Amino acid sequence: MTNHWNDLKHADVLMIIGANPAENHPISFRWILKALEKGGKLISVDPRFTRTSQMANVYGQLRSGTDIPFIGGMINYILENELYHKEYVAAYTNAAYIIEDTYSFEDGMFSGYDKDKRSYDKTKWAFKKDEEGKTLQDPTLKDPNCVFQLMKKHFSRYDIDTVIGVTGTAKETYLDICKTYASTGEVGKAGTILYAMGGTQHTVGTQNIRSYAILQLLLGNIGIQGGGVNALRGESNVQGSTDFGLLYDNVPGYMQVPTTAETDFTYQGFLDRITPKEGYWVNKPKFYTSMLKSFYGDNATKGNDFGYDYLPKLSAGRNYSFMRLFDAMYRKELEGLLLFGSNPAVGGPNAGKEIESLSNLKWMVAVDLFETETSSFWQKEAGADPASIQTEVIFLPASSSFEKEGSVTNSGRWMQYRWQAIKPKGESKADLEIVHMLARKLKDMYKNSSNPADMPMKAMTWDYGESDHPDIDLVCREINGYDMKTKQQVKIFGDLKDDGSTCSGNWIYCGFYPENENLAKRRDSTDEGMSNFLNWSFAWPANRRILYNRASADLNGKAWSKDRVGIEWNALEGKWKGHDVPDFVVTKGPDDPTFIDPFIMMAGGKGAIFASINEGPLPEHYEPYENPMKNSFSSVQLNPAVQFGEEEMNAQGDVSKYPIVATTYRLSEHWQSGAMTRSQEWLAELVPHMFVEISEELASEKGIKNKDKIVVSSARGEIEAYAMVTKRFKPYKLKEKTVHHIGMPWHFGYKGIVTGGSANRLTPHIGDANSTIPEYKAFLCDVRRAK
Amino acid sequence: METIKFVDVTKCDGCRACMVSCKNWNDLPSEIEEFHGSYQSHEKITANTWNVITFNEQERKDGGLDWLFRHSSCMHCVEASCEKACPEDAISHTKFDSVVIDYDKCVGCGYCVQACEFDAINLATYIDKNGKEFRKAQKCTQCTDRLEEGMQPACATACHTGAIVYGDKDDLLASAEERLAKVKERYPNANIYNPQGIKGTNTVYLLADKPSTYGLPENPKVALSQVVWKDYAQPIGKAMLGATTMAVIGSFIANSLNKKNESSEGEDHHE
Repeated sequence: MTNHWNDLKHADVLMIIGANPAENHPISFRWILKALEKGGKLISVDPRFTRTSQMANVYGQLRSGTDIPFIGGMINYILENELYHKEYVAAYTNAAYIIEDTYSFEDGMFSGYDKDKRSYDKTKWAFKKDEEGKTLQDPTLKDPNCVFQLMKKHFSRYDIDTVIGVTGTAKETYLDICKTYASTGEVGKAGTILYAMGGTQHTVGTQNIRSYAILQLLLGNIGIQGGGVNALRGESNVQGSTDFGLLYDNVPGYMQVPTTAETDFTYQGFLDRITPKEGYWVNKPKFYTSMLKSFYGDNATKGNDFGYDYLPKLSAGRNYSFMRLFDAMYRKELEGLLLFGSNPAVGGPNAGKEIESLSNLKWMVAVDLFETETSSFWQKEAGADPASIQTEVIFLPASSSFEKEGSVTNSGRWMQYRWQAIKPKGESKADLEIVHMLARKLKDMYKNSSNPADMPMKAMTWDYGESDHPDIDLVCREINGYDMKTKQQVKIFGDLKDDGSTCSGNWIYCGFYPENENLAKRRDSTDEGMSNFLNWSFAWPANRRILYNRASADLNGKAWSKDRVGIEWNALEGKWKGHDVPDFVVTKGPDDPTFIDPFIMMAGGKGAIFASINEGPLPEHYEPYENPMKNSFSSVQLNPAVQFGEEEMNAQGDVSKYPIVATTYRLSEHWQSGAMTRSQEWLAELVPHMFVEISEELASEKGIKNKDKIVVSSARGEIEAYAMVTKRFKPYKLKEKTVHHIGMPWHFGYKGIVTGGSANRLTPHIGDANSTIPEYKAFLCDVRRAK
Repeated sequence: METIKFVDVTKCDGCRACMVSCKNWNDLPSEIEEFHGSYQSHEKITANTWNVITFNEQERKDGGLDWLFRHSSCMHCVEASCEKACPEDAISHTKFDSVVIDYDKCVGCGYCVQACEFDAINLATYIDKNGKEFRKAQKCTQCTDRLEEGMQPACATACHTGAIVYGDKDDLLASAEERLAKVKERYPNANIYNPQGIKGTNTVYLLADKPSTYGLPENPKVALSQVVWKDYAQPIGKAMLGATTMAVIGSFIANSLNKKNESSEGEDHHE
């Protein structure tokens, strides 16, 4: 989230698209309802009518996988009717930037495409620079090659009739949504976008989110209270885990993992590659070196590039994301798998094939609260032949969140400490204890080795105590970082050095643990203004509650609205003051030419309407991997930058055989693969049966009655479930044809108190062109009555 | 201070935390029912499931759709049929105006189950140490045990949207009227359900649609038979004949005079 949960109450209009917070983030509605009570409007955009839709003022239906047309049409509406926040767009975004003449866009393709690699040469879309290397700009936004004009031209193709022919939204409703949301472009108004996996789990997932960002920049909704692009994270600590480098190509603090490419042979070469010339990221070497110091301590010296060579390197050009790991497993290239609270046999795409892949492992260690479908994949009840599976499975019982202490970071980036409520059951242990014991054991085993390959393990410091229970306070102090000589805690990431004199396990968390107090433990619920609760826990970075909050003030540093003060320039005191920690140099005044550059992480300090990611600098609609119709916007059907994995893992269904659009989702009552909730009797009874939601129209076509058992089939497999015939599903009235759709929860498997077919037996093994998140949310299937 | 529980269904997002918190506090067993063809988990309130969120889908006049949720549980009627029907004086009002069952007195005759207009009481079956079955009437207590400790009912504590609140009667009724005026545009049939035929209830609702949409009686009354029984026949009869005989006679009177629909189970008020 750029903003945070409590801040939702300050919105004038909330648009929930690709999310269903009433069901999956119920507490959010405490704040959303406060916004509505003050006269705010709630828009719910979803393929189906959800519990969120019921709470909304307007519900708009869209076909799964058509977010870009939906938002693109809104962008076009706003540009055509000049409803954007003109001052904000001109001064705070890169709308004025001039693009190189090598940029072009024709029939769904940007310039610079390499067909064989399925990738673009992004230099073709570069900003035009003058001789001094400064980006050329046209503040009048009239130059035909400026971002504003290129964007306008690009989205002019997203006219309302074309859009609704693709999304299936009723015209009147669509116009109502455009009008209602565009009203937040008025100076002083705020609109927020809430999204979750409905936005991301597509082959165009990243561009879906980009389209939300562009919309918000046009309306001046970023950096202000009640605005923002707000990702609702699906697990209590998924924000924390990505902050700490959960993704294969990240180290803590959203920095890159080195590869075997030539640029990365030396630490300096690597730093040169990953450090931009402008923007706050110029400090990256300080953050990286401090991180290496936290890994290797005194073994990281200037002489050995601070232990850079100890870091594992990714094979250049190779993708190690979730699906590609299973591809490798399928090809027998992986020997072992460590699973911490992960249940791919239910949660993974094309789960049937992923389960097959598991049997190619020599060993698997599963750490979980319950025996899951994954850790029992070899059992008879899984449909497997135990005698033919050679995988050694080791199960380690884990503590639940109430049985351990530590912090979780919520969607609003608040790092909140939690204490142990009850002692762990039986032999179960906290994840931290398990990793700690494993690390100590490994270090002990390697201690006498002279093999250079074992050096990383030997060089790694692991000073969290000598018992099996680590001193968590030491871990916390190291994450914040300290001066290597004095051992004094560093106050802020600005104090980190690239000479090895400081360490910090994760630069973005710097400042959460100053010398005497772990600020994540704070529980002061005083609202000092605009419900930012600055003394409740700690929000990264630097306890800032709203990112880019410089943009909450106008070009002179005055709040756009007196009812919505984030920070303001106080000329008398010569500093920024307000209800939030300034996301800006506190003393930077109007005399500084960068006074109007709020987006400090971006080169140039401007919000990125135009930003080069893998499939292009502006979002363009491509149909999902499996789709019911020809792309209305170009002759290009699938995102041209999507990479294919193992062919045998990824059968593709065709609309002639599988004419129905399907999507998957979660419910309030169950969580993820259901491993925890289907094992909890009071939750199990609330949703005890796997069901598939279908419209009355489709039911009547197929001769299906409510409560019938039906079979859903896709190119990957089939499952049985109960039919839930409902008015909340309506066929999509698309251009020239009507298309049916169904939806189902993905919570079920064969373990636990309540069991049922796993929806992911049906889902495709293909993902987004940037993040490779699987396309769980849009695929094709067919349904029939079970015999 | 008089207190009530106020349920504003227009604030309910159907998360069902109230159902879980109720089971948790009252330590009630899970009851896995068959698939009902909707999100509703239990067809109705049972002896071990004291509140059920009902889910109703209906088309709106403007072409839109409403998916109506209601936290259904004992209404804690001011004039409670169950209390009137009980031959053992096992049901009474507390100082919080909640209606509770004294399990030591309850003989499991089931008259209260028959009498309740809201299907909120049911019989639970137990087996004693000799292997003999016996029954007890069970229902929502409005968490009287929590109220006695100065706490809120478990459902109100769990409700994150403030759809269920517990507090001062006058304040809550006033805010209910304000809220009603606010939601009328979205829900033209919205109304406050606090039926006066039974002198009001201690669980008051703001409903988004007519009571019948939610399977609630439009104008519930305590049946004349129960008034006759409780206030006249029983006191005299008990004095003359003794309790057990009186229970048999009571059953006869109740069955012959009871205007209420025969079955409290057969009807499906839900989707």
